[in-house]
Amino acid sequence: MLNKKSAFAFVTSFVLAASLLSGCGSSKDSGTSSAAEGTDTSSKQVEFSFYYSGSQNVDDLWKNLIPMFEEKNPDIKVKAVYVPSGTGAQPTYDRILAAKQSGKGSGDIDLFEDGLGVVTKGQKDDLWDNLSTDHIPNLNNVDQNTLNDVSNLAIPYRSSAVVLAYNSETVKDVPKTLDDVYEWIRSHPERFAYNDPSTGGAGSSFVTTSIYNFLPEDAIHNTDPSIESQWDQGFSLLKDLGKYMYGKGIYPKKNQGTLDLLTSGEVDMIPAWSDMVLDQLDKGQLPETTKITQITPGFNGGPTYLMVPKLSEKKDAVYKFLDFVLSPEAQNVVVDKMHGFPGIKLTNMSQEVQDSFKGASEGFRSFNIGDLDKDINKRWQSEVAAQ
Amino acid sequence: MSKSIKRGILGISMVLPSFLVLVLIVVIPIISSLRESLKNENGGYDLSNYAYLFTDKLMRSNIIFTLEITIVSSILVLLISYSLAVYMRFNNGFAVRWIRRTYMIPIFIPSVIATYGLIQLLGNHGWMARILYHLGTDSFPRIIFDMKGIILANLWFNIPFTTMLLGSALSGVPDAVIESAKDVGAGRLRIFFRLILPLTFKTLLVALTFVFMGVIGSFTAPFLIGPNAPQMLGVSMEQIFSVFQDRQLAAATAFFTFLLCSFVGYFYIRSMIKEESVRSS
Repeated sequence: MLNKKSAFAFVTSFVLAASLLSGCGSSKDSGTSSAAEGTDTSSKQVEFSFYYSGSQNVDDLWKNLIPMFEEKNPDIKVKAVYVPSGTGAQPTYDRILAAKQSGKGSGDIDLFEDGLGVVTKGQKDDLWDNLSTDHIPNLNNVDQNTLNDVSNLAIPYRSSAVVLAYNSETVKDVPKTLDDVYEWIRSHPERFAYNDPSTGGAGSSFVTTSIYNFLPEDAIHNTDPSIESQWDQGFSLLKDLGKYMYGKGIYPKKNQGTLDLLTSGEVDMIPAWSDMVLDQLDKGQLPETTKITQITPGFNGGPTYLMVPKLSEKKDAVYKFLDFVLSPEAQNVVVDKMHGFPGIKLTNMSQEVQDSFKGASEGFRSFNIGDLDKDINKRWQSEVAAQ
Repeated sequence: MSKSIKRGILGISMVLPSFLVLVLIVVIPIISSLRESLKNENGGYDLSNYAYLFTDKLMRSNIIFTLEITIVSSILVLLISYSLAVYMRFNNGFAVRWIRRTYMIPIFIPSVIATYGLIQLLGNHGWMARILYHLGTDSFPRIIFDMKGIILANLWFNIPFTTMLLGSALSGVPDAVIESAKDVGAGRLRIFFRLILPLTFKTLLVALTFVFMGVIGSFTAPFLIGPNAPQMLGVSMEQIFSVFQDRQLAAATAFFTFLLCSFVGYFYIRSMIKEESVRSS
């Protein structure tokens, strides 16, 4: 049944992709096809397809980076396929998996971008290629600990963290620790909101951080379900906080939901993604009085990863692209265009960039609890939302 | 080959395409989701998912919540639409002209935009609250993130089409019938209950089916303006399917929703068949 289902998903996405491709007017044949007409001079041009998803800002980022890369490497063409967030990331993963199971290589996907959850899932299904500095020299720029976390199967090319965003006009005593935050919430009823954790990472991080605050430090890298019995204390705390939340227990949908509340002044403090806050501040969507801070222990922050499907036939070209993405030059674009933290160590970046991220890009922690977040969401829904 | 067999074959071949489409996109998915919903964790088949549906506190409150909203919305929509349609049928003048011109507008506004509009209008710091605040009212009831908001959104989405449906049925009531009833001295109420209502009852049933099914399966408005818990079944299904990734339970919820809808559909079809048999006998 499951196979049938994923086969169905595969067929659907294939049809979709085919229609997309024919729309672009490029040949559907994989392999070393010359991408567009008139490129016969560079006869050996390699085209690989790169699937990424995310919000609009991710699309904008790649539309900047890819031309930069192609200019330097005229023999490589990147076929970018943007899958708007929410709708397509799961089918893309299913497609890679289905292609492998039916012996069809990598399903015409040579590079894939997603979060930690998918990296771990693919690790179990043995989908990702092992990456090393032999092929990608710039991998040396990346913090080795982050790479160990994903067993060198994925490249953390940018990251952002959940931070506390607050209205600096009304919040004078800025919380420094998680306990300070609880304290603030209790003394300012209905002025704090976090989004429904199943609809966005900011709320999810608040919930996870609150639960794991009662657990030993290294529990945040534990994917074993046996740890779930230790969650009780955290959940009862969240349950108790419910009556101090915005609207006595309203958790808006999506990361943007709480940001909207902060904009309209209905709340004074929210957990939010740093890149969303910085970007919306830049565009004037959030009031200028909005400030961000990280607390200790830090909220979840995390890299977004690039993975190479093991069965891809165009790995050499992909490696070159990855090497470029990890260069300080490309990383500068990440910082400028989407206010993300660079994926490489800050010491590789200019002093200016290093200064601008002081405070915000430190102190966050990378949670890697695998599929356990599904159970957290489930339990949150029945215990905290429905109390 | 006799003529009647030929005609029979022709008839079947004309029905066949729509029958095949029905089988492909309705019957097969229903059967496959029924099968999926009967699977338990160990790969065997039993009713555990349905048991969970009715014993889990959260799921049960979701079901009750959905039924409450659906029933309240259906009744309100039918009441408002019917009175609007009757008013437009038997009155003339400035007001009727304007209602006739404007009542279809909601159909042309995409549901996401309409929903955000409702949030802007009725939210905690929305226009309505601000206007009332200046008029001296300090407390504003919670409409958004509450059941009331979903019901209001359902009214917005369903009234235009229902009114149109009922309006066309009412225009089918001949003036002659009403006038002759008046001539023999029937009062307004009597005409309404003895003539107009029975003559439009079938369309009313059709409208009820449409509204009921539309509301019970709604997603956009309940997702954006509903409370976190309880949720409507559509929102809950999405969460179970794509967040908890429990396909079997999602299938069970979907099949249960289908059963609810087919319950209403049954009455609709029964009344249709009755009508047919009366006509043919």
